[in-house]
Order: sequence, then structure tokens, then C-alpha cells
Amino acid sequence: MSMERKRPQLNLDELHQLKWLLGGVLALFSVWTVFYLDVDAWTLLILNTVAILSALIWPGWLALVPVAVHVAAFPVIVTCFAADLWANAQILPAMIRLDLMLILYRSLSYRQRRDDLQLIVLGLFLVVVAGVLTVSLAFAGQILAFTGCALAFLFVITLVDAAEAKDPPVHTPLFSWRLSVATPAWTAHADWPRLFSRLRAVADWRSLTFGGVLFTGVVVLSGLLFLAIPRFQLENSLFLDRFISKKARTGFTDNIKFGDVTDIISDTGLAVSVDISDPTQMPATLYLRMVVMDEYRDGSFRLSAPLRRAAFEREQNVVEVNGTERPRPGAPVYWTFYLESGVSRYLPLPGAFDRLNFRELQNAQFSHSLRVLTLRNEPVTMTAYRVEGVNTSPLLPDAAFAQTLRTTPRDANGEPLRSTRRELALPAGAADQAALRAAVATITGGATLTPEEFARRACEWLDQQHSYSLQSALAPGPGDPLVRWIGGKEPGHCELYAGSFIVLARAAGFPARLISGFKGGTWNGFSNSLTIRNSNAHAWCEIWDGTGAWLRVDPTPGSAPVTRTIDPQGEAALAARLDRSWSARFDSLRIFWYRRIVNFDRGNQLDTLRAVKTATQETGLRVRASLERVVQSLKSWLVSTWDARRIATAAIVLLALAGAGWTVSALFRGWRWRRRRGGDGRRADPARREAGRWLARLREKRTDAEPAATAVWPELERIRYGARATWPELDQVFRRAQKAWRTRRSAKTVAPSR
Amino acid sequence: MSTATAADWHGPGQRAGARWGFKWSELLWALVFPRTGQRIMPTASGVILISLAMGIGTAAYNTANNILFITLSLLLACLILSGVLAWFNSKGVAWRLQPPPSLRAGQEAMVTLELRNGKKYLPTYGLWFGVVANPVEPPSVPAPRGKKGKERPVREILAAAERNRLRARLFLRGRLDPGATARLEWIFRPVRRGAQKLALESVGSLFPFGFLHKHIGGGLRHEVVVWPAPVEYRRWGATAARPLAAGLRMARAGSGGDLLALRRYEPGDSHRLIHWKASARSRQLLVRQFSAESQEIFALWLQTAADVWTRPEQFELLVGLAATMAEDLFRAGKLGSVAVNDRPPQPIRRVRDFESFLDELAVVQPVAEDNPGSATAHSRPLGEGLRPALGGRKNVITFAPDGMRGVAAYVDGEKTASA
Repeated sequence: MSMERKRPQLNLDELHQLKWLLGGVLALFSVWTVFYLDVDAWTLLILNTVAILSALIWPGWLALVPVAVHVAAFPVIVTCFAADLWANAQILPAMIRLDLMLILYRSLSYRQRRDDLQLIVLGLFLVVVAGVLTVSLAFAGQILAFTGCALAFLFVITLVDAAEAKDPPVHTPLFSWRLSVATPAWTAHADWPRLFSRLRAVADWRSLTFGGVLFTGVVVLSGLLFLAIPRFQLENSLFLDRFISKKARTGFTDNIKFGDVTDIISDTGLAVSVDISDPTQMPATLYLRMVVMDEYRDGSFRLSAPLRRAAFEREQNVVEVNGTERPRPGAPVYWTFYLESGVSRYLPLPGAFDRLNFRELQNAQFSHSLRVLTLRNEPVTMTAYRVEGVNTSPLLPDAAFAQTLRTTPRDANGEPLRSTRRELALPAGAADQAALRAAVATITGGATLTPEEFARRACEWLDQQHSYSLQSALAPGPGDPLVRWIGGKEPGHCELYAGSFIVLARAAGFPARLISGFKGGTWNGFSNSLTIRNSNAHAWCEIWDGTGAWLRVDPTPGSAPVTRTIDPQGEAALAARLDRSWSARFDSLRIFWYRRIVNFDRGNQLDTLRAVKTATQETGLRVRASLERVVQSLKSWLVSTWDARRIATAAIVLLALAGAGWTVSALFRGWRWRRRRGGDGRRADPARREAGRWLARLREKRTDAEPAATAVWPELERIRYGARATWPELDQVFRRAQKAWRTRRSAKTVAPSR
Repeated sequence: MSTATAADWHGPGQRAGARWGFKWSELLWALVFPRTGQRIMPTASGVILISLAMGIGTAAYNTANNILFITLSLLLACLILSGVLAWFNSKGVAWRLQPPPSLRAGQEAMVTLELRNGKKYLPTYGLWFGVVANPVEPPSVPAPRGKKGKERPVREILAAAERNRLRARLFLRGRLDPGATARLEWIFRPVRRGAQKLALESVGSLFPFGFLHKHIGGGLRHEVVVWPAPVEYRRWGATAARPLAAGLRMARAGSGGDLLALRRYEPGDSHRLIHWKASARSRQLLVRQFSAESQEIFALWLQTAADVWTRPEQFELLVGLAATMAEDLFRAGKLGSVAVNDRPPQPIRRVRDFESFLDELAVVQPVAEDNPGSATAHSRPLGEGLRPALGGRKNVITFAPDGMRGVAAYVDGEKTASA
């Protein structure tokens, strides 16, 4: 007797179809990770996507592929890989393209078990390479989706193997004259909507819940393993990013043409995230310097080769860089930067610093005088570094430049010769220089100004002459573009303002240079970190103050042009830039990923262990203290004077406690009794209920003279009270009980007639 | 109707309903010191996974890259998940072997393996069961003849043992739902007569991901008896059985008109057979048993003197012929009693008696001449021992070699059949 509806099972064809479906989805998951890589494989990516999708939807057409194609596939793929390697000389992109070709081939042929395993390994390679090269938060989603899909795929493979055990596998000979491969039977009735409806019918919420819980367990367990795996670094530094080259997306190079920074500003993607151990130390307006450009030529600023040679130290493979600042008393303030890939090889820095630490070994060059740090190559992954002892002052002392300036040849007026100093160089045209002198005269009014005063007046003058706009256009005509813009009324952006100020300052005899980097940013209220986007890219200037330091000047409207002091800091500054939008929520996830996962090292591991230890100890102490308090109060209550009221209160409390204990005990015993009887108390077994009904019917006036009832009685009792394992066949027993019941009824009806 | 008890079941779920039987200490100890027959072997995909984990781990330590550490952690977690799921899969599953009621050499028989999933919520998938049937006493191997005298005997013994051993794997192809049972059937053909051991050697699974080949010791053994193979024989028909004298009737159960005995009621008995008066007196249900009506009764005497039956093939033919003739006579209601060598004749009244005789034939062996107490064809006249049981009448079937290979059956010394 079937008391419950039997759940259907997938047949072998449906299992094969499910396996095919999961294999295709896995392949798509894998190949789409190439989307995040800067590898020239778009053709293969599109081809893979189209071919896998079509094979997924219509698997039958693969049988039309001639056997010769399968025979020739592997040699052709290897030849393509060798040619790719020879032509491009880049091992990793070639391997990625090889992987894509292999996945394509495996997706376009009926797979056996080993082919399925190959597909998983090939897909895993792509996912891991993409993760290592991008270090992005998307990797977390990709690897989890891939893991879930791969586990389901392997699960179905195991079910298929179990279902067709001992059945001979379909074997395609290596060499065959047949025009096409054998078509598996399951492709004949591949009907995906029907399969999905069958899956819905087969699915059981308990199993699905169990699967979901287990997958969550896998994620949690892998997280715990990630935290617990012992860390030690072999410092071999053999890594994938060495095998792939990548160009900067944003254009922060040491040669900027007008419009470059504007292009960056139009990109709202995340550029840098900054963790600050003491956020109140952050200035209200943060400038992150990246590149210093001293030479102006042909309408563009650049870092000149002589300055590069003079200012930068020899490149070193380091994890720590010592800066120009000295350690300060008190707790150090750490600025941890997470620089996204593709921003620049010049690292954003808030100013002078005491010490900078990388997460891993880097080939870096540092300029003490410029306070600029550059890596050898454009980082293709997120780069993390921690800066300590930061000085965000707008004044940057430069003793080397002061010395150089003192030794520079001078003209008849005692001014340094412009031809010998790039920081004083003007556009080459005489008309341009004349126009600049005229503008300077207008700004100064013929007075001799200090550099700071000149900067203030020049900024005001530029602000009066022009308006800010990202959509700037230079008037056509001969001469230097900056001079043309200065002479016109066209709106401009930060590059034009900064460039114009520099040529004006130089025309006035003040050395000046262009700085590019980031300005501003928002304070993420969820992750408590500073978020700087590419749209925060900015260009500003530094002018030599004549006393041995470079002074920051930001002529772009909306900024405080010149200030010698650090902007006000504190909670108010943070509140002004607070961001609690949905975008900030997502960015906080990314910060969590960087802080806790990507940047996790042995130090963090030890910190975690210490935190766990401390939390455990503190919890123990708290529990102990609260217990001691309870015991102490109980003692004091006991030793105080007893009267009738207190005795009555104590008796009531004791009685209540005893009653509660007895109730709990009775409930527990009842629950255990029901469990032992095979039911959980909420819903008795239907077979036991049925047996109980028959026992009740047959119990009335039962005698040994009723052989049928006598015979079926012990079996009914066994079903009613016995262990399920000892049950006889339910159908037969209930049928016999029914027969015995009918026999008795017929005997009762016949008896009176005798 | 199944009336088996929990004691018949084996496997992790043999104690159905014993919810408090699980002990962590047992589980942990089993991990350290596996039980007999339990072993875990990596499959090809398992080796790939382990190699991948090792490669990624090496790369992770080389580069201190946390992406690789994450991948490594996930791979290790998947391995652990695989073990946990495999444990869940086999938890609560019990099995029992049900050998066939009778086995005859050369004839197909079906062994049933009954499975039960004692879990409340989770199904079980992908189990396989290795069953084996091998003789209790393997046939003797001839002496080695090769030059490598020290190596060949072992190989030959093993090869001979393997030849006589029948193996099979039974697969649980579908899903075994919680609380459900399933039956796996193994149809096999025993080669030789004799006592056989039917054993469940191992229970294995690749579930859930096929990384590891997990074996659980089967631990189930049944000893069964394979009756001799039926043989084709030729009847000579020269001798007819002598009818028994009046009043000499064989007391055998049958469908005759005379009451033979009363016995206890058994489920399935017709109600018309119930003897109500006797039941009332004895306060238990009794049914009537009637005697068979037959006039031609034979006695079968099998003598297995080793010096007479020197050729093993001929001896097997003898046993097969004796079994076949006895069955034919029993079906015809003409088999009165049987005897083997000098043992007292046993009357054949019921199927049970006849099956006991077949059980004896299944293991009978040539008896050496110097064996005290044994009877040979030369030492006693044919049918002498059976006469008292038959009241002095003969109709005794005996056997003797017929040429180099054949066997002949004699009724009171006259050839009546040969094979």
C-alpha cells in the first residue's frame, strides 16, 4: 500500500540532457571570464559564445560534423597555438586563446566522462587566470558560480555513470571513414522546456534546502580554510602578470596632452580606495600627486628626461620605500591605498611620507625631491601599498632644486636664464612670449609680487577671463594653444587652467610645474574608506616660492587657489564628503574584498587569531564576572533576615522551578517516546494509523475461533508498534485484515438465521 | 510475506530507529582506524583534483597570492564536502541478501539484494554491491609440472579458485528515496554442486562527485547448497516396479482420501482442511493432512565407493543421475525411501524429505574403501539395507558404472536406465 506519492526520477536520457546543459553553462561561465582580461581574444570569445549556445540548444546538429573534423581538431589547435606563440611572443595570451579553442572543441563534441573532466579543468584555468590578473571582486562571484556549476556537473556525471553502469560506452574510433559521428539517443528527444518541467517535478525541497545549506557550508568552510592555511612566502615572484602586458586605460602617463585628463574625468569607474587608520587626519581637500611634469613643448607637458635622470633613484626590487619625512611622536597614521589596475604606473601619494610598504615585491623607482613613486610596469592587478607618516602640506621643500637654481646662469637683470631651466621655459614663438608678458603685466599691474601673491592674482585673473567647462574648445589660429586660450574667452578645464597658470608664472619669472593626479573623493559611509574615482582626476600646479619649497597652486575655479596651511581636518570634513548611496554599498564590498581577502597576509592572520583569543578571553571574563555577581547577590539574599514573606516567596520560587523542571522533563520524555515509536509527534505514520484502525475493529470480541483474524493480528501489531524494518508487506496484511473483518461481519449476519 | 527481522540487515542503517546509536567517538575512530573492508581510493578525477590542489597550493605559496589561496581553499572544501556527502549517502542504508530457495548446478538462480534507506529526508544514490559465489571447498588442483615449481602452484591455485568463483556487481541505478526499499537481482548459474558461499564482498560508491572510490566492507555471508545438475538419461523399461502388497502403504503426504495426520495451521492453508473438533480440543488450529495413493514404490540407494567411481566426471554423472531419477520418481509419487551408502534409509514423505536428500547429494563424495562403516557395492548385496524399511520387498534402485564414462541404474539388479 503506497501511503505517499512517489517522487518521479529522471531517466537516463534526461540525465544526459541535464549533463549536457550543465556542461554548456560551465563552458559559458568560463569563456566569459575572458571579457575581464585585456587579451586579444574577442573573436574567439564571440565564436565560443555562439557555438556553445547553439550546441546547447540544438545538440543534434553536432552529429553532422564529419569525423575528419574531430581527427584533425587537435593537430589544428596545436598548430594555431604554436603560430600564435611565434607571432605574438606572449605565452599567457597564447595559452588563454589555446584554452578557448579547446573549450570550443569540447563543447562541440559529444563528451564522455574524461572529456567532461577536461572541460572542468580548462574552465578552471580561465577562471583562476582571470582572477589572478584582475584581482577584482567579480572573481568572487565567478569562482562561486563556477564551483556551484562544476559540483552540480560532477554530481550529474556520477548519476549518469551509476545509471549506465556496465553499459558499453559509445566509442568513436580515431580513424573512421564515416561522414559523421554516432548520434547519442538522448539528443533525439532533447526538449528543454520538458526537461525543466521534469526537473521541477523531481525537485524536492528538502534535498534542495540540504544542497543549499551544504553549498553555503562549502563557502564558509573555504573561508575558514583561507583564514587558517599557514602562510609563508617563498618570495619567488614568478607570476602570471609578468607574462601579460597591458596598457593604461586612463592615460596617467608622464606625457599629457590637453584633453587627456578630461577623458579620464568622463570615466566614473573606481580608481583608488584609501583606508586611513585615523580618518580625522585626512584634509578637507585631498590632493593625490602622481606625475610631475616640468617640460612644456609642442602643446603638451611632460616629465623631462634630465629631470627623470636627476630626480629618480635607481630602480630597486623592494617591499619598503623610505621617504623624506621623519617619524612623528604618537600613534602612527596608516594610509592604505588600493590602486585599481590600469590607472597608472605612477602611484597616487598624498604628499611626503616617512615609509611606504608594498604587499609584495615591486620593481620601483622613487624620487625624494619630486615625492613621486613609479613602478617599472603598468600593474595589471590591483596594487596595494601602505603609507606611514604622511604630510599633506601644500608646501614641498626641495633643497636640490634650490641648489640648482642658485647655480643657474643669470641674465643681466639677475634673473635665471630661461634657456637653462625647463621650469622657466616658455613657448618658443616671440608673439606668444609677448602676449604672455602682456598678460603678466595686466595681472601684476607693474608691481613686483611674491610668488604666492602672483599666484593668487593670476588665479583670480584666469577666473575672470574664463569659465570652467569640460567642453572646451580652443580658438583656431597660429601660435601656442595655451597662449591662444589665455588670450581668448573660451571656457576651459583643469588642464587649461593649470597649463595657463604655469606659462604665466614662468613669464613672470617664477619656476612652475604641472602636477597630475586626483583631487577630492567621497567618504564611503559603509566601508569607512575614501573612494576616488577616475572622474576625480585633476591637474594643478606647483610654483617655486623662492624660499626653498614648491607651493601648490590650483587655478581651476572652485578650488582654494593658494594656501600655505593644511586644510581643516576632522569629522566635519568627513561629513562633507559622506556617500551612502547604492554605489557606495557596492564599493564597500570591493573594499571588504581588498581589505580582508586580497590583502590578507600572515600579519592579518595573526591579528585574526589574536582577535579570536581576545574575544574568547573577554567573553569568559564577562561570563565569570556575571556568575560571580549572581552568586554574590544570592549569598547576600540568603544571609539577610528571614521573615514569613520571604519564606513564602522562596517557597513559591522553588515550587515554580520544580514545576518548570517537571514540565520540561515530561515534554522531553514524551518527545523521546514519540521518536522511539517512529513518529515525530506532529504527523503519525499513515501505515501505523491504518494498522491501528484495523486492530481496533478486530479487537472487539476477538476469539481464537476466527483463524483469519488470529493470523493477521500479530502482523497488524507489528506494523502498529514494531520497528519499520520488521514490517511485513503492508498491502497483503491490510487486505487480509479486511477479509477477516468481512468474514466476521458475514458470520454475524448469518448467525441469527440458524 | 516478509517476516524478516532487523537482525538480517547489515550496513550503516541496520539498526533502524536507533537514533541514539550514533557516536562521534566511533566516527572519529573509524577515520583513524578504518573497519575491515573499508578503504578509499582516488579516481582519475580525484587524482586530477588533488594534483590541481597541489599545483595551485604551490603557486599560492610561491606568490603569496590570495586569489590562489582562495581557489586552494575551495578545492579543499570541495574534497571535504565530497566526504560529507558520501557519509550522508551511505548513512541509514541497510541491505540484506536473500539467496534463492533452491540452487541447481547449471541452472540459473536469482539472488536478491534488498536495500533499505532508513533516512528520513535524504535519498541515496549510486551505490554498487560486489557479490561473489564460491565453493566452500574448492576443487583440488593437479600437481605442478612446470620448471618453476615454486611459483606455479600458487598461481594455479588462485586461478582455479577464481575459475570457480562467480562475481558480479549490482548497481543501484536510480534514486532510493528516504524510507524506501529496493531490490537488486543477480541471476547466476552455479557451475558445480556442493556447498557454496554467497557473500557480499564490498559496497562501493563514487557518490557524489566521483573523486573518491569509497568501499564499505560488505560483511554478509550465506552458505547455500547447490544441488546436482539434472542429467538426461535413457530408460530401458525392462523392469516394472512390483506393486506393494495390500496394507503396505507408504505414509506420504498427498492428495489421497485417507487421513494421514494433523498438523498446525499455516497461513495459506485452505479453511476446508481445518479439523474443527481437534482444534477445539487442543485449543489451536489444526488442519488435516491426507496420504498419497500410490502402488509402485521405489527405494533409491546410492553407493559411492571410491574404488568403483574412480573417475570424477563419472562420479558427478552418478550423482546427477541419482538426483534426476529421484526427482522424477518423487514427482510421480513413486519414491519411497532413499539411502546413501550405509546410512539408514530415510522415508520420503514430503518435499522437505526430498530436499534433504538433494542436500545430501550436493555434498556427497566418493567414500574410501578402508573407511570404517562404509558400504561398497562389493561388500553387501544390492538393496539389502533397504529391505527392512520396505517390509522385505525390493524395488531398490542402485547404480553402477556403465563403461568408461556412463552410469547405469538398476532396479533389483536389472538395468533400467543409463546416462
